[in-house]
Amino acid sequence: MRFIPEENITALLLRLSENATVWAPQVVRDTVNTVLFAPWREGAEIETGLYSALPVKGLVLPATERLFSFRYHRAGEREKIEIEVDELRERAAVFAARACDAKALVTLDALFLDGSGRSYNDQHYRARRGALTVITLACTSCDSACFCSSFEDGAAATAGSDLIFYPVSGGFLAEAVSATGRELAALDLFQESNLEKPPLAETAKVELARLGQRLLDKFDDIDFWRRTAEGCLSCGYCSYACPACHCFNIFDEMESDRAGGRYRCWDACMFYAYTLESSGHNPRPEAAHRYRNRLAHKFSYFPLNRGEFLCTGCGRCIRGCPAGRDVRDVIKALGAG
Amino acid sequence: MSTVPRKGIKATKPLVPEPATIIDVIVETPSIRSFRLVFDDPGIMKEFSFAPGQIGLMGIPGVGESTFAISSPPSRRDYIQFSVMKTGFVTSAIHELKAGDAVALRAPLGCGFPVDNWKGKNILIAGGGIGMAPLRSLLLYILDHRHQFGDISVFYGARTPADLCFVGDRAHWEEREDIAFIATIDSGQPGWDGRTGVLPRVMEAGRPPAENTVAVICGPPVMIGYALAALARLGFAEGQIFTTLERKMKCGIGLCGRCNVGSKYVCTDGPVFSLADLGNEI
Ligand SMILES: Cc1cc2nc3c(=O)[nH]c(=O)nc-3n(C[C@H](O)[C@H](O)[C@H](O)COP(=O)(O)OP(=O)(O)OC[C@H]3O[C@@H](n4cnc5c(N)ncnc54)[C@H](O)[C@@H]3O)c2cc1C
Ligand code: SF4
Ligand code: SF4
Ligand code: FES
Repeated sequence: MRFIPEENITALLLRLSENATVWAPQVVRDTVNTVLFAPWREGAEIETGLYSALPVKGLVLPATERLFSFRYHRAGEREKIEIEVDELRERAAVFAARACDAKALVTLDALFLDGSGRSYNDQHYRARRGALTVITLACTSCDSACFCSSFEDGAAATAGSDLIFYPVSGGFLAEAVSATGRELAALDLFQESNLEKPPLAETAKVELARLGQRLLDKFDDIDFWRRTAEGCLSCGYCSYACPACHCFNIFDEMESDRAGGRYRCWDACMFYAYTLESSGHNPRPEAAHRYRNRLAHKFSYFPLNRGEFLCTGCGRCIRGCPAGRDVRDVIKALGAG
Repeated sequence: MSTVPRKGIKATKPLVPEPATIIDVIVETPSIRSFRLVFDDPGIMKEFSFAPGQIGLMGIPGVGESTFAISSPPSRRDYIQFSVMKTGFVTSAIHELKAGDAVALRAPLGCGFPVDNWKGKNILIAGGGIGMAPLRSLLLYILDHRHQFGDISVFYGARTPADLCFVGDRAHWEEREDIAFIATIDSGQPGWDGRTGVLPRVMEAGRPPAENTVAVICGPPVMIGYALAALARLGFAEGQIFTTLERKMKCGIGLCGRCNVGSKYVCTDGPVFSLADLGNEI
């Protein structure tokens, strides 16, 4: 297997920086004093121990993204609209992604790159996804919120990564998953090594067998959902922080009298207004309805439609929930498989 | 699931609308106006085709876009019509539009009525309020292909006579011998000599036979609830009943997540559903 000495990492990131913005987990002190993926510059310290508050999904589905710009102009008697889609010019590379985040990218691909008509191939997602290189740092330790070991592969998941780094003494073993990964691993910054891969993190586990059906069996028991969602503030953090959640809103903004842009931005199914119709009718009026829908989407509907869970067990929604909601408690309460 | 394939919108840029121009505005009721529009690109206009029941997202860049059923029939090649009820932000701005104004359109989206499976069947259409919009498209399609279908009965209900849309069409539908058309208003009004009574009751009183019949109902949720109960009493099975569902929508292409009814998305799996598709998810 290939090996990269610790002291070559900066050189690797500089190499990547030549034609891409390199995103790496860093403690962002000036704003929220938390770990986030941020553009890396030489000298910046990379934080791989603490869990980033937000996943890498923002690189393919930015929190706010312009879909197109428009301009009104006069054509003779008439007002006409001209629409222009920005072209993505920049490549991105992410360094030290987690396996659960990388795997979630493949889950998002199933939806955003589908194109069968059940969903449409999304040109903006496609452009960003195609311009993204993912270098994953395999987890050798975890915290109490992680539960990726419940899923096939667990911390050893390779899906979505181009190159996976395994921490070993003096540096990292590097396993190429894609052609891009193989090209990188062939760089002179790497060398051959016969070191063994380290043992990976073993997280807490929940029983996922028949979960989709178990959840639907409990669907109509609204009191059950009221208990599980108790205290939920409908703040939406769980959705924003989730590497697999992808709902978005669309809105327009004028940038002058005659021109503006249409944007999409992250939304959350935990918000009251998410499904509020103009008549005042809301099919999911209570936090309990919304929490139920969020989990049903992850563990029943998405598996029904796409054959996989919309969750990789990253634990962010557990770590960050101000109301202490824990999706694993719900899965346990739904009974054994 | 309906069998009509989705076609038309550029699958390569599904979130980017095409510029279009309003060519005519029809004031239907105090709160509903129909807008006829054409794509600015004649090539797109020429190739535009859809099935009754399909939807479009029409909008004014800078204001926003909203979901509407196409209310013109596929045979209408010179314009696309939407009938818009004024309810909020975007629909109020749309109501200000005049002929010649610019809009942007993503259409057609969703699955229409599976009309090809209905050949040889009797069709019962029941529309309440703005719910008549997709049914106008369907009815005009059926009249274009009249020989393919059995008996056609149409019930159209609104609160007051002033709330009934499609004045010109109605006169024509009432005259036609080969369809039974009944308009009804909720309660008696001076100057109204037509039927009165809420639509589900008027429909049930007509005792439409369930045998070899497809029932299509669109309207406000309360009306749908009563109409479904009436159809059940008349002996209609779930697979014979079709409706269009409404949920708040943004993307229209199965990605933004909000329009789901259980595991189905109204925007791509619907808006047309048979009751059998929906099970207890309605
Ligand atoms: C499948 C389908 C077909 C429809 N067909 C018609 C039709 O033919 N004629 C008609 O008048 N109306 C129709 N509607 C309802 C219409 O889309 C809403 O009334 C409209 O979006 C309200 O927009 P607004 O900006 O005026 O309201 P606001 O309350 O200001 O809403 C803001 C935004 O929320 C979304 N939204 C709010 N309510 C709804 C809703 N009920 N459905 C979908 N999106 C909503 C829209 O994006 C809207 O722009 C249909 C809805 C659906 C889902
Ligand atoms: S993070 Fe917690 S409180 Fe906030 S919406 Fe999610 S479950 Fe509710
Ligand atoms: S649902 Fe929670 S644990 Fe699962 S991927 Fe999303 S944030 Fe992570
Ligand atoms: S409107 Fe976005 S998923 Fe249906």
